[in-house]
Amino acid sequence: MRVLTVDDSRTILAMLHHTLSNAGFEVLQAEDGQKGLDVLATEDVDVVITDINMPVMDGIEFIKRVRASGEHNSLPILILTTETSQDKRDQGRAAGGTGWIVKPFDPEKLISVIHRVVH
Amino acid sequence: MSDLDDFKATYFDECSELLTELEEQFAAIEAGERTPDRLNAVFRAIHSIKGGGGAFGFAELVAFAHAYETLLDHVRDGRIELSGPVTTLCIRANDIVADFVNAAKTGASLGPAYGDVERHQFDALTSGNAPGGEADAEAPMEDFDIDFVPVMVDLGAAAPAAPEPAEDSFASAPLTVEKGHWEIRFAPHSELYARANDPLLLFRELANFGELTVVARLTDIPPLADFEPFGIYCTWELTLVSPTASAEAIAEVFEFVEGNCELSIAQLPSRAAPAPEPSLAELAQLVAPAAPPDSPALSFAELAETVKQEMPARPAAPAPAPAPAIKLVEAEPAAIADEHEERRAGPEERRNAGVQSIRVDLDKVDRVVNMVGELVITQSMLSQQMDDTLRARYQELVRGLEVLAQTTRGLQDAVMAIRAQPVKSVFSRMPRLVRELATRTGKKIKLETIGEATEIDKTVIEQLSDPLTHMIRNSADHGIEAPDKRLRLGKPEIGTIRLSAEQAGGNILIAVEDDGGGINRERVLQVACDKGIVAADTTPTDEQIDQLIFAPGFSTAEAVSDISGRGVGMDVVLSNIKKIGGSVHVKSRSGQGTRMTLRLPLTLAVLDVMLVKVGPSPYVIPLSSIVETIQCSRADFGRAPSGAKVLRVRGEYVQVVDLSERFQLRGDAELANRFVVLCEAEGGVKIALVVDDIIGQQQVVIKSLEENFESIDGIAGGTILGDGNVALIVDVQGLKASNSLHKNAA
Repeated sequence: MRVLTVDDSRTILAMLHHTLSNAGFEVLQAEDGQKGLDVLATEDVDVVITDINMPVMDGIEFIKRVRASGEHNSLPILILTTETSQDKRDQGRAAGGTGWIVKPFDPEKLISVIHRVVH
Repeated sequence: MSDLDDFKATYFDECSELLTELEEQFAAIEAGERTPDRLNAVFRAIHSIKGGGGAFGFAELVAFAHAYETLLDHVRDGRIELSGPVTTLCIRANDIVADFVNAAKTGASLGPAYGDVERHQFDALTSGNAPGGEADAEAPMEDFDIDFVPVMVDLGAAAPAAPEPAEDSFASAPLTVEKGHWEIRFAPHSELYARANDPLLLFRELANFGELTVVARLTDIPPLADFEPFGIYCTWELTLVSPTASAEAIAEVFEFVEGNCELSIAQLPSRAAPAPEPSLAELAQLVAPAAPPDSPALSFAELAETVKQEMPARPAAPAPAPAPAIKLVEAEPAAIADEHEERRAGPEERRNAGVQSIRVDLDKVDRVVNMVGELVITQSMLSQQMDDTLRARYQELVRGLEVLAQTTRGLQDAVMAIRAQPVKSVFSRMPRLVRELATRTGKKIKLETIGEATEIDKTVIEQLSDPLTHMIRNSADHGIEAPDKRLRLGKPEIGTIRLSAEQAGGNILIAVEDDGGGINRERVLQVACDKGIVAADTTPTDEQIDQLIFAPGFSTAEAVSDISGRGVGMDVVLSNIKKIGGSVHVKSRSGQGTRMTLRLPLTLAVLDVMLVKVGPSPYVIPLSSIVETIQCSRADFGRAPSGAKVLRVRGEYVQVVDLSERFQLRGDAELANRFVVLCEAEGGVKIALVVDDIIGQQQVVIKSLEENFESIDGIAGGTILGDGNVALIVDVQGLKASNSLHKNAA
């Protein structure tokens, strides 16, 4: 199972990588939405976890583009949000986000959320 | 190191980058570049610091960053104008964030009220612009989910308010809720699928709670001809038997599809409590169409009716036409995307383009540096072992060794280049400092930076910030004159401090230059005499006076000023720079300005040296400070009036330091056979070192004496030679200083 993690924070990327690879996922990383799209253009992934606030291309735009491409209609995309940014979460959903993960995330919860959206 | 420590290290590393970025962005914003890109970058930096901080539970940091972030959000979308005072507040806030990060790093406490003043200012600003502030911003979220029907039909609890259909039949027997029996009705909208949610996965998760029965309702499926591609025709009825599941837990499974489906979750009531662990068959009985008529009437239609009555304000038909909704999702992004692209193809994109890089733990690089150092030693040891006989006999070996020497050198350069970083990371902190200094002193100062791309060893860079800060403070405080005075003197009203970096041979020169009044030598000398730093009757040269500002305990500020003073003066700069093998030189012209130059080694690890012998021991002298070597028999020694030995070189008198005397070693060689190594210390001051023999040139790896032993006057460090012997590195600058002090004291 392959997960693409998109976040401009190295700390978050590192923590996701640790948690996910311990749970047996193969982890791909991108630092912003544009790089995320680049990865999706060449790699098959089973699920995407993306931050919202990123340089170059933010998470909302990234999700919109992924969905707009038509090739990833059934690709689950989880949004990383903080408790306080519910409007972002809703924007993310409106753009086509499948679900969300609240930062700071609990590793077990993270995995269970992924299983909620991935076969 | 635990994983958590690893992450923390990454986090703090990232924080320091983000804080630097904040400095840069605000420097540009101050310079008038108030672009959305910059404001977004600032917002993101604080957001990232907050996000990571939350992961490690740095509550105080997160609380402050959150309040600051809210302000930045308001600034970003134009609700608050980024005026001068707001900018100043932000810059102050950056400092506080940095303090919180530091406190989190060191485990120190900043006290409970730290940052409260600023936080109140944030609140005042944000609430002033959006009445109610944060609380208000969140309130509308309740309405936002209006199309969602969060049905939590607990008929047991709701029994008194339950609508008529049930009341008669329930009258005779007490209603008990059967724990662990749930009926869930689920009708997805097309958006649910468009967002890659999958009912199957939700059911799978539900099944984790206990026994799940899923019945698909297919009655709405139209004839094939009427099928719409994105039409949703299937709904489900599920029955869950679980002793552990709660309504909240079940609702959480459907968390992601809120608003994208019709959902009802109901706990099944029954008249009599059945067996504690009801079988699936029993459950099927309860939900089967042939259920006993006295069981609560819970057909889907009725339940839905109940729901509608309970929520009169909700739209009666929450399901929007699915197909257009999807079209909208598809059509929108293209337009937005183009616009986005144009707007974003700014500096960030350019910055991100180009060099690929990986991040490597500095420890790993240091290990390589260390090993390359050892390799250098081994290589030079091998070369030394080659005497003439061997050279003649094994020419192939000699050639091989030459190649090895070259490769080693190349490897060394390459490794050092890995650790090299542009000085920009330090320089970028200075514009802000200058601005602050200008404000506090009431002077007008502009900062020019030159050579920001000059690269220097990371460990050196880390040590640069404090000395540079001090030097710039010194220039602003003591150098640059007040605007009216400058105008009187016919100078431009705005003073200039120029910060420059350049590579010169094996050194990096970093200079802080101002066009101020220059060093007031009279006063410096007066103070130095008063403080007993120099004897009252000495007549030092201008250059020597200038150097006095680096003397320990010297501070000319009459009242310890807010800026430069605090009892520590330029002597701290000197000692910091010396610690990393550098030196400081000051050049001042009265009325025209002062230039202070830091001469720093390109790298801290490897040094080109001349190997000499003093008494029985080998010593090394840095090649960069050697001007020439002279045989003592040819040297022109003399005596100064004070009785000190001097050397006459091309009409110039140079102090002589006999190293065997200085280090109290018994020199066994005849004077005539000994050598003078003429060195130039910082500021062009020469010093003649007398040694017993000159052995040759080589490269050595510097080992710190302070770390391994203790600091020794006149010795800059130690090294291990090719033959395994330890040689000490002569500190030319230190010898010169102590020598001139001796002389002055005499």
